[in-house]
Amino acid sequence: MSKRKALSSNNRTYLAMTIPIVILFFLFNTLPLITGAVYSFTNYRGYGTFDFVGLRNYIDLFSDERVLHSYLFTFKYAIAGTILINCLSLLLAMGLNSRIRCKSLLRGVYFVPNILGGLIVGYIFSFIFTYIIPAVGKAMHIGFLENSILASERYAWIGVLVVGVWQAVAMNTIIYISGLQTVPADIYEAGMIDGANPWQKFWKLTFPMLLPFVSINLILSTKNMMMVFDQIMSLTKGGPAQSTESISYLIYKNGMDGGQFGFQSANAVVFFIVIVAFSIIQMKITGKKEEQL
Amino acid sequence: MKKTHKIGGTNVLLTVLLFLGCLTVLFPLYMTVIIAFKSPTEMTNDIAGALSFPSTWNFSNFSEAMRVTNFWHSLGNSFLITAVTIVLAVLLHSMAGYAIGRNMARKKGYKLIYFYIVSGMFVPFAILMMPLVKQTAIMGLDNRLGVIILYLVFYMPMNVMLYSGYLKNVPLAMEEAANIDGASTWKTYWTIIFPMMKPMHATVAVLTALGTWNDVMTPLVIMSSSEDTTLPLAQLNFQTQFGTNYNLAFASYLLALIPILIFYIFCQKQIIGGIANGAVKG
Amino acid sequence: MRRKHVVSSLILAGAVLSTLPLSGCAGTSKNDGKTEVTMVQYKPEAVAAFEEMEERFNATHDDIHLTIESPNEAMTVLKTRFIRGDYPDIIGIGGDINYSNFLDADMFLDVSDFEGVSGIKPAYLDIVDELEFIPKDGVYGLPYVANCAGILYNKDMFEENGWEIPATWSEFTDLCETIQNTSDVYPLYLGYKDTWTCMAPWNALAVGLSSPSTCSDVNAGKTTFTDAYQEVAEKDKVLLDYAEPNPYAYSYNDACTAFARGESAMYPIGSYAVPQIQSVNPDMNIDSFVFPANEDEADNVLNSGVDLQFCVMKETKHKDAVYEVLKFLYDDETIQIYLDNQNAVPCKDGDFTLPSMLDGMRSYIDEGRMSDFHDHHYPSEMSVDAMVQTYLMDDSSDSTAKFLKRFDKEWKRYNRDLIAKVQKYEEENAS
Repeated sequence: MSKRKALSSNNRTYLAMTIPIVILFFLFNTLPLITGAVYSFTNYRGYGTFDFVGLRNYIDLFSDERVLHSYLFTFKYAIAGTILINCLSLLLAMGLNSRIRCKSLLRGVYFVPNILGGLIVGYIFSFIFTYIIPAVGKAMHIGFLENSILASERYAWIGVLVVGVWQAVAMNTIIYISGLQTVPADIYEAGMIDGANPWQKFWKLTFPMLLPFVSINLILSTKNMMMVFDQIMSLTKGGPAQSTESISYLIYKNGMDGGQFGFQSANAVVFFIVIVAFSIIQMKITGKKEEQL
Repeated sequence: MKKTHKIGGTNVLLTVLLFLGCLTVLFPLYMTVIIAFKSPTEMTNDIAGALSFPSTWNFSNFSEAMRVTNFWHSLGNSFLITAVTIVLAVLLHSMAGYAIGRNMARKKGYKLIYFYIVSGMFVPFAILMMPLVKQTAIMGLDNRLGVIILYLVFYMPMNVMLYSGYLKNVPLAMEEAANIDGASTWKTYWTIIFPMMKPMHATVAVLTALGTWNDVMTPLVIMSSSEDTTLPLAQLNFQTQFGTNYNLAFASYLLALIPILIFYIFCQKQIIGGIANGAVKG
Repeated sequence: MRRKHVVSSLILAGAVLSTLPLSGCAGTSKNDGKTEVTMVQYKPEAVAAFEEMEERFNATHDDIHLTIESPNEAMTVLKTRFIRGDYPDIIGIGGDINYSNFLDADMFLDVSDFEGVSGIKPAYLDIVDELEFIPKDGVYGLPYVANCAGILYNKDMFEENGWEIPATWSEFTDLCETIQNTSDVYPLYLGYKDTWTCMAPWNALAVGLSSPSTCSDVNAGKTTFTDAYQEVAEKDKVLLDYAEPNPYAYSYNDACTAFARGESAMYPIGSYAVPQIQSVNPDMNIDSFVFPANEDEADNVLNSGVDLQFCVMKETKHKDAVYEVLKFLYDDETIQIYLDNQNAVPCKDGDFTLPSMLDGMRSYIDEGRMSDFHDHHYPSEMSVDAMVQTYLMDDSSDSTAKFLKRFDKEWKRYNRDLIAKVQKYEEENAS
């Protein structure tokens, strides 16, 4: 058997492993996306008849203050959220992966926020923000805590952010924990001999091995934060005074509940392009880092 | 390392810190549990009242919630959909992740496929929803099978990314050795690589299960028969336009939380213990 | 050998998927010569009443089998069914903008030849007519039950303190002042964290202070919201003085609980909130009165809209069987099943037992002195509820002018296609 033949057969195996998946993906992701993109040139309401309106939806999009505001909110939220989530979940993963007692119990507890349904999260955190924190604020005479943060046009986004991060940390922690499993124990032993302190050990030894996972987590948390929807539905419904309307919330609420399917499809197409561009930049940066190491 | 904090190899300070951090989870969980046991007449906006124990600890809310949601039937549907999705995701996504991950550094085509699939993650579901409803109906997939296929597609970007990322830390040496021995890529994959990726299988299983178990929207819009109701769909019964029965709802959510929590704890063990097993086998 | 592996991987997906017995077969084959009529109604809270109706109908009809579905998230379910082309025969929906849109998309059958139409109160038929974007001949929606909004009050609290039911705006504000100065409860409790709750007093004021055709008049270019809603907006803001501080922190549910716990004497909301309030305090004595928006009692109008109406889909293949079902639904006994289950007002003329918390509104209902919720005419994507919340939170002195200007501007934008359609219609019919 010649080597070339073996190679080409290997290549065929690789192709066979990939192609069915790509076909599936095309059928149930790309195809409906294309259909949706066609609707973005219409005034379709989601049912009944419709007309093609050319680029009107796209032109409207750039002059719509509400859409503009939702972009500002979403970016502010996503940037703050991504940073917080990754710092917290990396710390948590290191903690949960080290020699501690009750490991399983602790890991189980930190996982819970991610599985609590929107109704529970909405009720409990609304109660905390509306009643408990203001009561604490009054008792301790801390002015800015005396009113519910969710009722403040300026700070409500922080309330949503706290809950969003609280829920999201679990997922990224799991990924970091499994990433930490690929760091072989013997590199630590090598580090010990050099007499490196824990801080140096982390940056010199652990972090480079974790980079692929940092990159994955950055992308996943950026995506999850950019598409924030559940927390808004359960905590503020876009209020107060429309200050916490995210892009996904607007697309869903006006496109599905309201009769703006065509217009919101245009919004979704633009949002898709923006977020892909954003992630490609992110991947390029972390990719460069990986190559350097 | 600060040896002073170590007793028998455990880091006490860290344990204490992690337990303190748990309070941010345990306090909301405490509120959930007591509300699940209270009756609607015990609901109040007064803090002391809201945090106090229910007047009686009886399980009537739980049994009523089970009746309203037709619990075993909906649980069965949720379980079926989630389990099949996980199994297929682990089999199919790991294969694709392997093929893409091993080739994307050398071949442009695979790199392109990688970016194509990963970018699909950023498509807002709202734009896909209506076309998908129509498409699945035409293809005769307006049922549980359709929901499973959609989940496989929705979680494909994340899972492919995870698998190919994980492979970056798995050295090529063993595959090359097997190749020289004359084993085909197909065989090498199933006998060497697949078992070695066990921690990642567990991670993928947990993350996929997380997304499918609580999902309302996909089954709501895709399945045309109300026979196939999943648990989250049945739980919508507690919320109507002008009123929500929080007590029953919370009881029901707590019941739904248990299976997935058990599954997670099981998978955690695989994530941690997995790498050693894989290495031994290899 | 190798090729075989390759092929098997190709078909792996298909094989695993297709061998799984997953495609659920719904029991559509119940066809033993009976005509199958399907109805989807959008109020899951009324599922018990509809199950009873369904059972009674099927027990008394040999040739027709009726299935009533009461799905959760019914509007989403309905829209997805329409996309699939899977049309029920009858749908039960609210008299709101969804009805207007469905009708505009030409989805309903004209049912003016249904004999039951004559038994329905004309006031409610008019309300449904008013929902048509463009005047259309025929009857497309059959009002079944209505709900009413105004002010709910704590009857025992009023009796203990000797407070009188106000009939005019001044009496109302005086009462609020009295409550504020002489007792330790709030006159009103507002759950403005949920934006839709902001619409309850807004609608109640709007029906009293502006014309029921305001929205279509604006579409036809006959008036502007700046003119029509000035007083509504001003009075809506006055209510804030008599409610708990920072009402934007409290949700609908918080407000229901607070009212049920006696933290306020009154609660400006609709009759639909009563079950939620009574779930917290089942013994509470609740009554209601019409929002006293005007200085002259005679100008006040009850805010009442169609909560549930039946529409027959154009695609139905057995109109006769559908009419048989409708006839059954409009039977007095059937209606009473619904009323006993839900706190509702029947749209049919007749001698029905009404829930006691509507006593204070009874005379208005009997006289037909009522007008529809204005927000039934607002496109939901315009989010007027959020705009009202924004306005109420705005402390600046020119907030009313700014808000109404925005209302006019956004209305034009969100209704652009509709306004063009209406104006075209007017032009065609003028000549």
